[in-house]
Amino acid sequence: MKRAFFVTALLVLLPTAASPDELVSGLSQDLVEITSNYTGTDIVVFGAIESGNSAETPTSRDVVVVVRGPDSDMIVRRKARVAGIWINRDRITLGGMPSYYFVASTRPLSQIAPAQSLQRYQIGLANLVPKSESTHIFAKGEPFRHAVIRERERVGLYSAKPNGVEFLSYSLFRVRVPVPAGVPRGQYTAEVYLFSDGTVVSAQSTPLFVDQIGIERRIYNFAHEWPFAYGLAAVFMAMVLGWLSSLIFRER
Amino acid sequence: MEIYLPIAEMSVHWLIILGMGGAVGFLSGMLGVGGGFLLTPLLIFYGVPSEVAVATTASHLTASSMSGVISQWRRRAVDLKMAAVMIAGGFAGTIGGVYLFAFLRKLGQIDLVVSASYVIMLGTIGSIMLRESIAAVRAARAGQPLTAPGTAHHNWVHGLPFKMRFRQSRLYISVIPPLALGFVVGVLSAIMGVGGGFIAVPAMIYLLRMPTNIVMGTSLLQILAVTAASTILHALDNYTVDIILGGLLVLGGVVGAQYGVRMAARMRGEELRLLLATLVLLVAVRLLYGLIATPSDLFSVTVGTP
Repeated sequence: MKRAFFVTALLVLLPTAASPDELVSGLSQDLVEITSNYTGTDIVVFGAIESGNSAETPTSRDVVVVVRGPDSDMIVRRKARVAGIWINRDRITLGGMPSYYFVASTRPLSQIAPAQSLQRYQIGLANLVPKSESTHIFAKGEPFRHAVIRERERVGLYSAKPNGVEFLSYSLFRVRVPVPAGVPRGQYTAEVYLFSDGTVVSAQSTPLFVDQIGIERRIYNFAHEWPFAYGLAAVFMAMVLGWLSSLIFRER
Repeated sequence: MEIYLPIAEMSVHWLIILGMGGAVGFLSGMLGVGGGFLLTPLLIFYGVPSEVAVATTASHLTASSMSGVISQWRRRAVDLKMAAVMIAGGFAGTIGGVYLFAFLRKLGQIDLVVSASYVIMLGTIGSIMLRESIAAVRAARAGQPLTAPGTAHHNWVHGLPFKMRFRQSRLYISVIPPLALGFVVGVLSAIMGVGGGFIAVPAMIYLLRMPTNIVMGTSLLQILAVTAASTILHALDNYTVDIILGGLLVLGGVVGAQYGVRMAARMRGEELRLLLATLVLLVAVRLLYGLIATPSDLFSVTVGTP
């Protein structure tokens, strides 16, 4: 909530702020469709920086692109050895972590802005914090939060490209955002930040949807809306296939 | 070509899945087992979530036992009454098993329980079979006749109450052992995604003393009913049956099974059992290693409501 507030506040305040540069950005597509042969794709976030005052050249100008997936709860368990066997022992629930997170920037984040402002906008993998946590002890929760970031990075759902923003000209840039197979469905947001000398001077947020379409969607809906009929259909299909196979291979 | 599984929410290569189904089908055709005990761990190793693997294997087993039942039915090798009693126990076991599954999943111990039950089951059965088949192979090499397990002896099973006559099996025994056996198999089917034939067949032969030629068909009919129930219950409670994955596995499986059956015709029974025992033990050792070895990451993450 806090982060959303900051972003909104920025969007409202910025046009009136005395900022020389403004940001215009867009997406190559605003709907990613998961079909039967979906193996992941790239979407492109592109944009331009419109200089308010062309005579002035800013000392440092950085673009950071963040794509966040819908929030979900993460249950993290830690194994411990009990009688020689590894068993899940401690459990902490992190509520409202992004299910997908991608960040790209013109150079390493630590060089762009001070840690505080990166934390405020949740920019950077290490700065992702849950909305709620089932423990109030910071030291206890930290290893679990790091575990989520590690695991999501391993499966390719969290990623960071410190040099992922490509400048095509002085003001035109683009970023390739990987959308791997296995991304959760839902509403994503693509946020583009323009930093100048370590502070955000312009920001833009665009929604992006990821959804199953076609037969996959229908199967998924069928399974969730009519589970009993779906189960019957699965059994029926299996029985027919079994029966057919015994017919086909009968006399051979 | 990769294909997207709508329920598992992942993409897989369809050839790998077909091949997996085919390989398991080949082994099950050759060795006369359902192959669930191989398929579930294989799917989990490939990255399919364990709850989807268990539920979808159940639907795969429905198909393979269906074709098995049909061919046994033609040979009149199915004891309907015995199967009905075992199915009654099986349904109770499946319902209990699916709820136990959901409960363990909530506790976060489902992977442990699935692996540990596999290790115990497969380890025990594999060792017994290995001992028996090595003795049989040795005896066959030495040219000695095998001493068949006696079927005439009465055991403790015959002392139980509620007796019932099973005409086709030529038995007059208590309904408690077949009911209990059906129940156990139902629980196993729901939790481990196996048909349970590897438990039911030896138990029916050695414990219930059913004639061997009827055991296979009766067990298959029971597996058909129990895995069908298990599929429906998993679909209802956990939404974990993936019809696309199941269909691909079945396609590979039915073809593989036919070649397996032909292969089996060229091999000796005791050699087949030795092979099966080795396979069973290998799976058990692999799973045991997974429980004992220090994991590369002590933390595991589950997405969604607990």
